[in-house]
Amino acid sequence: MYNVVNLKLFLKQKYKGFLIGLFIVIVYYWAIDGTDISLFNFINGFPFMIDFFKRMFPPDFNNLGRFLIKAVETLQMAIVGSSLGALIALPLSFLAARNIAPNKFIYHIIRTIFDICRGVNEVVWGLIFVSMVGLGPFPGVLALTVHVTGALGRYFSESIETVNPEIIKAIISTGASKIQVIIRGIFPQVKPLFINYALYYLENNFRTATVLGLVGAGGIGMELLTSMRLFKNKEVLTILIIMVSMVLLIDRMSAYIRNKIIRVESFN
Amino acid sequence: MIKIKNLNHTYKYCSKAAVKNINLHIKNGENLVIIGSSGSGKSTLLKLINRLLESSAGSIFIGEDDILNVTAKKAEKIRGRIGMIFQNFNLIERDSVIKNVLNGRLRYLSDFDTIIGRFRKEDYFIARESLDIVGLAEYENKRIMDLSGGEKQRVAIARTLSQKPDIILADEPVSNLDPRLMREIMDLLKDICIKNGITLVTSLHFLDFAKRYGSRIVGLRDGEIVFDGKPDSLTDENILNIYGNGNNWHINANV
Repeated sequence: MYNVVNLKLFLKQKYKGFLIGLFIVIVYYWAIDGTDISLFNFINGFPFMIDFFKRMFPPDFNNLGRFLIKAVETLQMAIVGSSLGALIALPLSFLAARNIAPNKFIYHIIRTIFDICRGVNEVVWGLIFVSMVGLGPFPGVLALTVHVTGALGRYFSESIETVNPEIIKAIISTGASKIQVIIRGIFPQVKPLFINYALYYLENNFRTATVLGLVGAGGIGMELLTSMRLFKNKEVLTILIIMVSMVLLIDRMSAYIRNKIIRVESFN
Repeated sequence: MIKIKNLNHTYKYCSKAAVKNINLHIKNGENLVIIGSSGSGKSTLLKLINRLLESSAGSIFIGEDDILNVTAKKAEKIRGRIGMIFQNFNLIERDSVIKNVLNGRLRYLSDFDTIIGRFRKEDYFIARESLDIVGLAEYENKRIMDLSGGEKQRVAIARTLSQKPDIILADEPVSNLDPRLMREIMDLLKDICIKNGITLVTSLHFLDFAKRYGSRIVGLRDGEIVFDGKPDSLTDENILNIYGNGNNWHINANV
């Protein structure tokens, strides 16, 4: 009996690596097979892509003013959507953190709400809200708000779960009430993470807000869709230049804000 | 006055009791030091005195109230009168010194004022006064993360002082400091408590410090009191009884 067990263990160890390798190969083969990946088509398609880019040059700046107004509208959507989402997520996240939640029922309810908000893509939310309140930036803002509430709520509550319990005990020991412990003991510990996540979502939402335009939810995305449909490729390039410039600008600005608020420690 | 009667506590997921059958009477203004090896129940006992740990049997009277058997709201009120100092300082590292010290004033503040961050002039005055007592008046706007270990423990003492407590519980307050700083902090703590008539209960790992700073020593072993008396009455036999054979209690307090 002893020898049989040993033999099993020996075979298990000997073929473990091989079996894991085989499993990985099968998974990749299955996934690649299902996605029609073809190097031949990719290389053959290059001339078409070059032709597509050629037709975009030079960019057409005739409607620059209108595009810029729409780009600003996209930025406004991102700012309002991210801020509203963060504001709603902030108090709810305390109810969805295992170490703070008043009971398991509330914890699971709020977590499920976060998962639904986050699980449905912004574009799908956009479609839902367009059918609800009509075309324009407002359904876009709603879509962003709902998605950000779910995403930030999840991140916020997970950050709350990682706070140092000893610091909480120190605040409790001063005779503080539960609300005071949250405000003065927990929030200061998670504040840098909250700011980081919120700024990340602001950056992210500008990019998402452009896509939302494609489903009629306002912003520069709607202009992009119109120009593409009318084959105004030179205008498409202008819009892309505006979008990329604004993304770069927002990334730099949020990095600046992040460094001002949260002192980043240097190891040099 | 602290009166502990038949106190027992067992941690969840642990079959062995952390403290067993503790009976202790601590007078107002007394300076008591609890000694014992790691895991002997020193920290547990201190945390039970201000009910930082729940589900214990027995009673702990702080004045007239049994903190273990009052409502959570009432326990908050009692806790406000008891300051606590920790081994790891337990300060908010990214916040300023004054912000941390002001946390000692929370018991005097409403929830609404806490949410909007409105402390009264009196709170700032007392917080600054406490910083002055610990010798950090100039450090008000520094961040905790920029301070040394000794300075951090001074801030923690200032936070406790701004509570205006009747009792201070110090849970191994010098374990993370070098010997020179250990003496500095213990001298400071002792002086403050004597001057203000505060009852001081300190848990210390090292015997020499306990003898030097305590006016009464309680020795714990496996959660039980095995010695209770004046420092001079502590014999080698008592020490052996408290610490066992391992020679892990010695550090020269006169370094």
